[in-house]
Amino acid sequence: MFANLTDKFQRIFKKIKNKGKLNENDIKNCLHEIRIALLEADVNYKVVKEFIDSLRDKILQEKISESLSPAQQIIKIVNEEITLTLGSKQNDLNVNPSPPTIIMLAGLQGTGKTTTAVKLANYFRKKGHLPLLIATDIYRPAAIEQLQVLGEKTNLPVFSMGKKESALNIVKAALKYSSQKNNDVLIIDTAGRLHIDDKLMNELEEIDENIPLQEKLLVVDAMAGQDAVNSAKVFCDKIKISGIILTKLDGDTRGGVALSLKKVLGVPIKFIGIGEKIENFEPFRPERMASRILGMGDVLTLIEKVETAYSKDELKKLDRKMRNHNFDLNDFYLQLKKMKNIGSVDQIMDMVPGFNHLKNRIDVTKLGEREGELKKIEAIISSMTIEERENPSIINGSRKKRISRGSGTQLSDINRLLKQFYQIKEMFKKKPKLKNFSFN
Amino acid sequence: MNVKNIFSQFKEGLYKTRKEFANKLGYLFSNSKDKSEFLDKLEELLILSDLGISASTEIMNEFQQINFREYKENNFIFFKEKLKVILIDILNSTAPNLKIDEDRMNIIMLVGVNGSGKTSIAGKIAYRFKNLNNNLIMVPADTFRAAAIQQLKILANKVEVEMVNTKEGADPASVVYDGINAARARGKNIVIIDTAGRLHTKTNLMNELEKIKRVIQKEADDCSLEILQTIDATMGQNAIAQAEFFNNSLGISGIALTKMDGTAKGGIVIAIKKELSIPIKLISCGEKLNNLYDFKAEKFVEALLD
Repeated sequence: MFANLTDKFQRIFKKIKNKGKLNENDIKNCLHEIRIALLEADVNYKVVKEFIDSLRDKILQEKISESLSPAQQIIKIVNEEITLTLGSKQNDLNVNPSPPTIIMLAGLQGTGKTTTAVKLANYFRKKGHLPLLIATDIYRPAAIEQLQVLGEKTNLPVFSMGKKESALNIVKAALKYSSQKNNDVLIIDTAGRLHIDDKLMNELEEIDENIPLQEKLLVVDAMAGQDAVNSAKVFCDKIKISGIILTKLDGDTRGGVALSLKKVLGVPIKFIGIGEKIENFEPFRPERMASRILGMGDVLTLIEKVETAYSKDELKKLDRKMRNHNFDLNDFYLQLKKMKNIGSVDQIMDMVPGFNHLKNRIDVTKLGEREGELKKIEAIISSMTIEERENPSIINGSRKKRISRGSGTQLSDINRLLKQFYQIKEMFKKKPKLKNFSFN
Repeated sequence: MNVKNIFSQFKEGLYKTRKEFANKLGYLFSNSKDKSEFLDKLEELLILSDLGISASTEIMNEFQQINFREYKENNFIFFKEKLKVILIDILNSTAPNLKIDEDRMNIIMLVGVNGSGKTSIAGKIAYRFKNLNNNLIMVPADTFRAAAIQQLKILANKVEVEMVNTKEGADPASVVYDGINAARARGKNIVIIDTAGRLHTKTNLMNELEKIKRVIQKEADDCSLEILQTIDATMGQNAIAQAEFFNNSLGISGIALTKMDGTAKGGIVIAIKKELSIPIKLISCGEKLNNLYDFKAEKFVEALLD
């Protein structure tokens, strides 16, 4: 995530890392590079301008502290500035104390509203709510079916009335329906529309005027360019958007739009979509996103994810094993399975300081990616003896042949698995810091 | 279809973009007091149009050499002409536009990231060639997204062309295999393949596309194959990475620029062409089936600046 911007910053700071003192020229070069990096990241031109100006003032004003190198100080300042631009604290969704809570999603075509609607409903279900999805995209062919199919797959109720009724009438009817079914969170999926399409923008206004909406969320593609600010502005003017959901952040987009939107619109970013699976959805954390952009890794998010996937006891056990270097193939397999639940190995690597560099060099990141890979690993490991699993170094050629026959895999699969295992083990050895956040 | 007519529609669709760009251009020129201010404003204009820092810098460099005073006095026609030439130079390509080879089977495969408009443009391409009396079949190789098959089916019905049947979760490569064989059996000369949206960074999903391409090459090695990547005009610089990854995986023969009916300037086209030399072949500008136009560098830039 945000890979290129991160790389850029790291390159800039590498240049000045070893300098004891920065002269005016250093600062100028640094600001120039930061500016280019931000523009390449699609941060809005005007936002970049303000950002750089305020950065310049800060750097000039900042007293040189004894404990930090100049480069570290600039990192600190850039980090603070990005955090400031992104918004200073996390913004939760407004939930109506007297149900139902009604949430409307809106946005341009193809930004991911329908997928997001289902993810959001799942998010509320996990919190103990009874969500209802409302299909009001009466224009795009098969849009209603898309929501219905997704609802069926995820076992979430979908209210629809076909394409004949107006969006407002559908929402009204859904409200009635939900009171009988005790749904306490209603999520309205609307059609994608251009901000300059007055007719369709009026449709949103009409819903807004007649239905008490707790949240009006704008769904924005994280890959969006400079115009994102313009279209978002119109949505804000018409229906007073209460929050933003950024989607498709699982690609390599630099996501500069995140920096722009908050600054220009004064509307908080509330959630991010980070994958095609229903659980690839999380609250937006401004302060964490800043450190992510800077390549410091989003340690905090990782802790939280790890915590939901592992119990405290498991973590302690894993930590002890890593520390004593007796992390074996059994653990390896368990970790892979866990990591799959948390997210892709790739995602996790991105969040750990130092690992985002490492991951380019080793193919461990490909592990969780391929469907069936995990099954193969399971087959290989279960074809090993207990002794082999605990002490893989004894696995010689003839043992490999036996394992390969037993698991129905190729020798190369076994070699690859062992190689990956040793790489991970090696990584844990080199990164004793990992235990610092594995159970704080 | 009347060529002149196509162009006037194309221009009409671009009207908003054009007006904004040209107005800014005039303002930019007449309100700058010196060269450095002018260049600052030019940079702002180019970046805000999503041209990207690299293409913008190159264009700026061309203007660095100019004696600003002279240009100012000669009014901004000179300047505009110069900008036009630079932009056309970047956009020009020797590659032909999307065309149908009469002697063999034509396969048009649409690829791109999620939400970039593949299915919609599949319908528009079908509509265009159906009206030119071709015999088409559509292949729903997006078996992943919920109701994507139904969406294509509705479009196929609207255009009155056949679609190969399949169901959600089917292997896309085998759907394509069926599609090619159905096309042969039923004497179709155009096969339009709609694939699932995927982020270019997902290796396994990119492999799936490569597999589809291999099936095409094996089953129809004599066909004329056009692999078009849809690029959303509202995208920023990430579209360059998108094009680069898809091109490395598949060899993209052209780009179809979608969603040009908003206020996004579509400058990303210039950046992509400059960085990767992938020709832009089609431009989609509106939600109607006939809102599809051949991309022409000169006309695109003219429509932008006139």
